[in-house]
Amino acid sequence: MTDDSAIHVQGLDKSFGDIHAVRRISFDVHRGEIFSLLGPNGAGKSTTISMLACLLEPTGGDALVMGHSILRDPMAVKEAIGVVPQEIALYEDLSARENLIFWGKMYGLRGTELQRRVDMVLDIVGLVDRQSGAVSKFSGGMKRRLNIGIALMHQPDVIIMDEPTVGIDPQTRRKILDSVKAFNEQGMTVLYTTHYMEEAQELSDHIAIMDQGEVIAYGTHDELVEIVGELDRIDLTINSGAARVLSEWRATEGVHHVASEDGNLTLLVEDSNVALPRLFESANGAGVRITSVDIQEPNLEAVFLHLTGRALRD
Amino acid sequence: MRIFDIALKDLRHSFRSAFALMFMFVIPLLTVGLFYLAFGGLAADEGGFDLATIHVRVANLDEPPEEVTGFSAGEMLTEFLASDDLANLLAVEAAPAAAVARAAVDRQEAAVAVIIPPDFTTAVVEPEGEASVELYYDPTLQIGPGIVEDVVSQFVEGLAGSRLAAEVAGRQLSEYGSPPQPQRLREISMAYGDWSSALGEGQPEGTSPLIDVRTPREAETENLLTVLLRPIAGGMMIFYAFFTGASASQSILDEEEAGTLSRLFTTPTPLSRILGGKLLAVFATIFVQVVVLMTLAALVFHVGWGETLPLVLVTLGLVVLASSFGIFLTSLLNDTGQAGLVFGGVMTITGMVGINAMFTANVPGGSSVSTIADTVALLVPQGWAMRGWRTVMEGGGVNDVLPTVAVMLMLGGAFFIVGTLRFRKRFA
Repeated sequence: MTDDSAIHVQGLDKSFGDIHAVRRISFDVHRGEIFSLLGPNGAGKSTTISMLACLLEPTGGDALVMGHSILRDPMAVKEAIGVVPQEIALYEDLSARENLIFWGKMYGLRGTELQRRVDMVLDIVGLVDRQSGAVSKFSGGMKRRLNIGIALMHQPDVIIMDEPTVGIDPQTRRKILDSVKAFNEQGMTVLYTTHYMEEAQELSDHIAIMDQGEVIAYGTHDELVEIVGELDRIDLTINSGAARVLSEWRATEGVHHVASEDGNLTLLVEDSNVALPRLFESANGAGVRITSVDIQEPNLEAVFLHLTGRALRD
Repeated sequence: MRIFDIALKDLRHSFRSAFALMFMFVIPLLTVGLFYLAFGGLAADEGGFDLATIHVRVANLDEPPEEVTGFSAGEMLTEFLASDDLANLLAVEAAPAAAVARAAVDRQEAAVAVIIPPDFTTAVVEPEGEASVELYYDPTLQIGPGIVEDVVSQFVEGLAGSRLAAEVAGRQLSEYGSPPQPQRLREISMAYGDWSSALGEGQPEGTSPLIDVRTPREAETENLLTVLLRPIAGGMMIFYAFFTGASASQSILDEEEAGTLSRLFTTPTPLSRILGGKLLAVFATIFVQVVVLMTLAALVFHVGWGETLPLVLVTLGLVVLASSFGIFLTSLLNDTGQAGLVFGGVMTITGMVGINAMFTANVPGGSSVSTIADTVALLVPQGWAMRGWRTVMEGGGVNDVLPTVAVMLMLGGAFFIVGTLRFRKRFA
């Protein structure tokens, strides 16, 4: 733990019966940074966040949030954080303003300070004109923004966002990503979970990649990409018969990893210019038709593939 | 403060829901209203039966004997029937002859013909005299002729008292060796009649100096309709108060599924206050429901609920018991999918068992049915609530309702403790 740690996670562990959801993970989130937990569904991200938000009691380890233990001082932790849940959690029969007032009161705000914060948050989330309307009449995007706004009511030191862009349109997604950057510029520490590599790449100062309950990589974007070195990533689409080429491609010289899902294949290769002709040749021999090819610079997707042998989307 | 914030939020949710308002207020009142309309024909708005005026023809053929001066029993009976006291009941017209009076009945212009015989006064004043007043009426009519017969009988019994007084006085004078003259006996008889008449006039209208009629205080002002409606209004209120308890408690499951409960747990509001606020909302919702239903039933249907203090006690008992039972039932459920089935089934069955007195309370001669039904009802919490309510509505005081209220509070406390412990364990 360093002096500027907003969150210090040490050996955090959580089991549900026989299921080991989080396996003794450790990481630090520095004050004022955006930190992403990146991983596929079921990696343990939401369980980790639930423990940090004091919703779940860990079966092992501890974490300090702004210096307060989630085990010994959960109320102080809750004072310090604002949580944006993955699902929209609002009172639909109340107006936007009534929702903010209620949640503000739950954080101990009262009187003029409460009204001032409500006005401020309505402005931040762009709902000033719709503040009196029942939330049930809101669009999905408006609900998402209000969902985030509630977590800002008490000006928390740390805002925890659990996959806030799942299932929303690109325009709303863009607004949310911009607002995350804006919160960070105002000095808030952001702990952000996602399974979208692009979001983690765009937003994060530091990233922890999680898989099967473990943190398998941790660092800045550049530090993580260095793990895969100079490898190129090739995304291929084939018409059918992936099984007929997989074993041959894995044995091809210069190919490090091959992952397959529904006719989409992701490969890590030393040099795409050398590898591609060989891949086409073996595909032709096996009677498989390659319908698209996309060559990319090393990125977090490649890191995940390199570390797990599976694509992040798996 | 956060307890009240949560409770107010839940109350706002409840009272903004058209469905909840329907169940809390409209359906119970509508049910009572249907019974009110169904029974409405039995009683008048102002209380008592609305009896049509009875048309009476009186043929006074009485011819007092010459020695009796200034007294005519026939004239007294005619004046009695036409007196102001009976004006709302009888419309009396004189008929010159018995045949004329009977003809009026035959033509259905009158319900009853009263024919006073010529020797009516003689029969009153002479010890050996006998005479009969004839009542001629349509045999298909029951109520009107029956009332006239009662009125005439009452008068004749009064005259019989006069004759009896004269006979007793005559016998006593004879025993002392001074047998009275007939004129003296007539004077005694008439003096008794005057005394009796004067005594009656000195009393308030409709009362007798010799009979002290006492009725339950509430019964003085209530009519048959309100007596019938009381258990129905009470039963409906109890039935739906328990539904409200379950429905309001279900908000815990609703919030759990909507994610707002988890979100509440991420705020620095302790679990005890979150649950406390939600439970307070359940209590408050039922309290408002009960008070509004009682007030509206009293104003619209003139239902008398009983004395204030015992009423407050059973209201408290009902609110505690209905809330706690709802909380307890909800704590047994995993999700709202189960809630509809369980609440619908359990609340309907226990409710119908508990308030069965609503149907048996006014069954004539149904005491054994009522006893069995009352005993079975006590197997469910609604039965205790109904028992408490009936006690108050039937004029019971604080001491009468205290044992039932004590049971209601104890049951409520047990349900509350089990329910909240289960919730605390679930959300810990």
